[in-house]
Amino acid sequence: MLTDVYNPLKGEMFQVMDKTGKIVNKKYMPAIPDEMLIKMYRTMLLSRIQDEKSLKYQRQGRMLTFAPSLGQEGVQVATVAATEKRDWVSSAFRENATWLWMGQPMENIFLYWCGNEEGSRIPEGVNLLPVAVPIGTQFNHAVGVGMSLQYKDEDSVVLAYIGDGGTSEGEFYEGINYAGAFNTPNIFIIQNNQFAISTSRTFQTKAATLAQKGIAAGIPCIQVDGNDIFATYAATKEAVERARKGEGPTLIEAVTYRIGPHTTADDPTIYRDAAYHEEMLTTDPIIRTKAYLIEKGIWDEKKEEEARKEFDTIVEETFKKVENVGQMPLEEIFKYTYEELTPQLREQYEDYKRYMKGGNE
Amino acid sequence: MAILNNIEALNQGLTQAMERDDTILVFGEDSGFEGGVFRATKGLQEKFGKKRCFDTPLTEAGIIGSGIGMAINGLKPVAEIQFQGFIFPALNQIMVHAARMRNRSRGKYTVPMVIRMPYGGGIRALEHHSESIEAILAHIPGLKVVIPSNPYDMKGLIVAAINDPDPVIFLEPKRTYRAFKQDIPDEIYEVPIGKARVVTEGEDITVVAWGALIPEAIKAVEDLKTRGINAELIDLRTISPIDTETIIESVKKTGRFLVVHEAVKSFGPGAELISIVNEKAFLNLEAPPTRLTGFDITVPLAKGEHHFIITPKQISDKVEELVKF
Amino acid sequence: MFEFKFADIGEGIHEGKLLEWLVKEGDTIENGDSLFLVETDKVNAEIPSPLAGKVVDLKGSVGDIIKVGDVVVVIDDSSSSSVLENETPPEASVEAQAEEKGAAVVGEITVSNDVIPSFHKQETATAHKEKKKVLATPVARKMAKDLGVDITLVAGSGTNGRVMKKDIQEVAGSKPQEAVASPVSPAGASHTAPALSRDFKGLVEEVELSPVRRSISNAMAVSKQNIPHAVMMDEFDVTDLVVFRKEAKVAAETKGIKLSYLPFVIKALSIALKEYPVFNSVYDKANEKVIYKKFYNVGIATDTDRGLLVPVIKGVDHLSILDIAENLNSLVTKARDHTISLEELGEGTFSVTNYGAIGSLFGTPIIKFPEVAILGIGKIIRKPVFADNGEVVARHFMPISLGIDHRIIDGADAGRFANRLKELLANPKLLLMS
Repeated sequence: MLTDVYNPLKGEMFQVMDKTGKIVNKKYMPAIPDEMLIKMYRTMLLSRIQDEKSLKYQRQGRMLTFAPSLGQEGVQVATVAATEKRDWVSSAFRENATWLWMGQPMENIFLYWCGNEEGSRIPEGVNLLPVAVPIGTQFNHAVGVGMSLQYKDEDSVVLAYIGDGGTSEGEFYEGINYAGAFNTPNIFIIQNNQFAISTSRTFQTKAATLAQKGIAAGIPCIQVDGNDIFATYAATKEAVERARKGEGPTLIEAVTYRIGPHTTADDPTIYRDAAYHEEMLTTDPIIRTKAYLIEKGIWDEKKEEEARKEFDTIVEETFKKVENVGQMPLEEIFKYTYEELTPQLREQYEDYKRYMKGGNE
Repeated sequence: MAILNNIEALNQGLTQAMERDDTILVFGEDSGFEGGVFRATKGLQEKFGKKRCFDTPLTEAGIIGSGIGMAINGLKPVAEIQFQGFIFPALNQIMVHAARMRNRSRGKYTVPMVIRMPYGGGIRALEHHSESIEAILAHIPGLKVVIPSNPYDMKGLIVAAINDPDPVIFLEPKRTYRAFKQDIPDEIYEVPIGKARVVTEGEDITVVAWGALIPEAIKAVEDLKTRGINAELIDLRTISPIDTETIIESVKKTGRFLVVHEAVKSFGPGAELISIVNEKAFLNLEAPPTRLTGFDITVPLAKGEHHFIITPKQISDKVEELVKF
Repeated sequence: MFEFKFADIGEGIHEGKLLEWLVKEGDTIENGDSLFLVETDKVNAEIPSPLAGKVVDLKGSVGDIIKVGDVVVVIDDSSSSSVLENETPPEASVEAQAEEKGAAVVGEITVSNDVIPSFHKQETATAHKEKKKVLATPVARKMAKDLGVDITLVAGSGTNGRVMKKDIQEVAGSKPQEAVASPVSPAGASHTAPALSRDFKGLVEEVELSPVRRSISNAMAVSKQNIPHAVMMDEFDVTDLVVFRKEAKVAAETKGIKLSYLPFVIKALSIALKEYPVFNSVYDKANEKVIYKKFYNVGIATDTDRGLLVPVIKGVDHLSILDIAENLNSLVTKARDHTISLEELGEGTFSVTNYGAIGSLFGTPIIKFPEVAILGIGKIIRKPVFADNGEVVARHFMPISLGIDHRIIDGADAGRFANRLKELLANPKLLLMS
């Protein structure tokens, strides 16, 4: 097992492909068909372009605050790519590429960041939970879904994502511990992008790695190079298999880098050294993956240019469509509080409707 | 028909519900093997197995958070919080997720979960074992909050809560868990959520109470008869959503209103009821709508708790005051 | 464990000051050993232990004030009684399972086999008698109470039969209340005037009523609509009073007090009202009672730039003529420069209106509801009259118009009351002797 070979307590990080795109660990190179590789890359690229353009839209005042996944597309795609359609994902809030891979329409993602709950009406057949803003709480939900799968005797698994900052929250630990206690089919993924807003990873904990926190919960854990899609995929696949066989949960720390700000309301230049940032940019998963694909002969600059153009248009059109969605009708803000309106809600809704009809603004 | 106390009635309700629907799971700290510290879930693990009734690690957030996950994927979790005083680590999951998941996902993901816990004081316990925070919970949109006062309602309301498509907080007045018994039907039945019950009819004043104060209020009503006053006592049963109709119909008849609750006075459930009475029955009032409540303090430990407890005499005296207004 | 409480050592003390500890924690003591020294307001006393044992806890420091009943020392006497004073634990029936009792983890749960009534089988109980209830605001209910009106007998003219304030006021002034025949026509309702036609055939100027004016307007309407007024008129020979006042005026001025005729009239009233108490009463129509007031507050109708205000001189029966004059002047000034308070305008029991100041002689003054009488005073005029010996002499006369509530005061009463006033004012010296 990879988790036996790579001991986080010994500081051993699992890597297959280095930042130039070269395979340095052939033994553990996963077998991914070319078609899937292309799909993975294209999803990363689409997510990247969506985020880059979204930043512009936001600065143009056309979009509200959002959390870009710039730099983390590798982790996000490589982990979810190791699962099947029937598997579940319990999100934090920075998993754009994961959502795209799963089939959450970009339109929904834009609706959500534009302040419309319709964006969280995730399509039928997509087992993705909505964004969980209170950090760490999504881990316990994931465990609950895992327990329901055990109960129903289904062999689906549940991924859950969290950031390096999130590992300091009580529910992070409660979640992995609970999962261990019940041996649930969960895979917990820490997207260690080095920063919790302005707080660097080293301030979060005295532990040398985040992966080793799994040891306290008694579950297998591993630290991987998150920008290396092969290592990430391999580690996740092993964890998924383990979970499907009923052998319980795994904790994976994926080391990556948050190229952009925490959210658009954040200015990283305040707390990040320029030289450090430049250095970290070279670890970009898109750079190395592209290099690998070109080297393998299944991608080229022309395909790159075409893809970029195609994605640019998709993003542009999708965003414009969302922009033209009007205000939310009054009924919608009441309708989903309970299955049926309580007498109080009905009265409040009717009264306000009447008041508005009377020409009041 | 069986003569059962509140705990036994609750247990019977859980058992009968679980017999009919195998998506119902019951769990909490010490709820499985031992059947809960008050034995509310006694025998369930024996009968239905560890998969359906089990103990959990000591984490309220974990219990409730995982319950939410289960409910999202089609199960009906009945989660126990050992004492209402320990609900606070789980309040985040309750407020922000259980109550909001339907709204957030526009109805795709819902949380038909029951969260049950012993609540209220009067048992001379350690700190954190005597809370009455129904107002805090009732203030959260998306939640329902029920408080049964007698074995019939305990059974009927737990069944209704389990069948409710929304998250229901089920508060059990621990003071009266075993304080009396009642003859209740053997078969399974539901008591509707959102419906109060008129305990005694009267035309002089409407008195609303719930939980452990119902037996006290009943004593007060008897005492008031000897003072020539006929009080209409209403057991609210559901704190949220309130059965406004029953209350207002009563106040229009009597013209006077008193709400009695153990919970802290300021910003308490009484304030909500009085507001409703003012909004809908202002012109019918012959005396100011009033609340008789606990103090704005932490429930005292055993030595001071008797000050905090509301007695039948306090209730009758207050009623008399209002009738003479 | 034994809790030793500070007791009343027989001198009726409630507390003492702890002067000195005579034992320390851990000491083994015998029955009778002194535990501590306490200073009371009577004696300093050494307090002995009532039993033998080991001192476990000393509850207090030197200098503390300890009260009778306070636990001062805890002694381990190896007894098995519990430290804490338990109230008798609730009776657990024989059948209460041991495991149930222990299943509280914390605290104590009452366990009992008492059976409470089932309710799910019961039919709805038969309806109790319907007590008549009305719709009304708390303000309206208070008004009804104050006016002595039974609100359940008032038919409401508001929405859904709501009883409005004006409904109550109408009933307060009308005939004795009968049960309402139909909700449409309230008992004793007055005829409402038809709406004013706005088809003026000439130039008009519209001015809104000031609050004071509105208040006066309402008050006048209420009074006239509810009280059957009658007015008795007379002329009082005040020739001697005129002379007397001239002298008195000078003396008053040295005290800085302006002395008019009104203080003399008020003084006379204070005497006459005591002798004819019905003039100082109110009529409780609803309960058909006359309420005689034993305090005498005379209101003086005062002309101000805002309209008619009636400041009230309180307790005129305790005031001298000069006091009355001083009060009067002060109140009138306040009324005129808008500094008068609500209190100074309230609680009157009888009123006086002096239109004589303007030059008028007689009037039909409107009683200040809910008072039952009012005295109007006209301008004092010097006229030629026939003396007893047939000669023509010049005398001063003060015209008066006495308005009465004819429901409880008859013309003859009015005459007698007026005669008494006449007597007092004809001979000012009498004012000093009553």
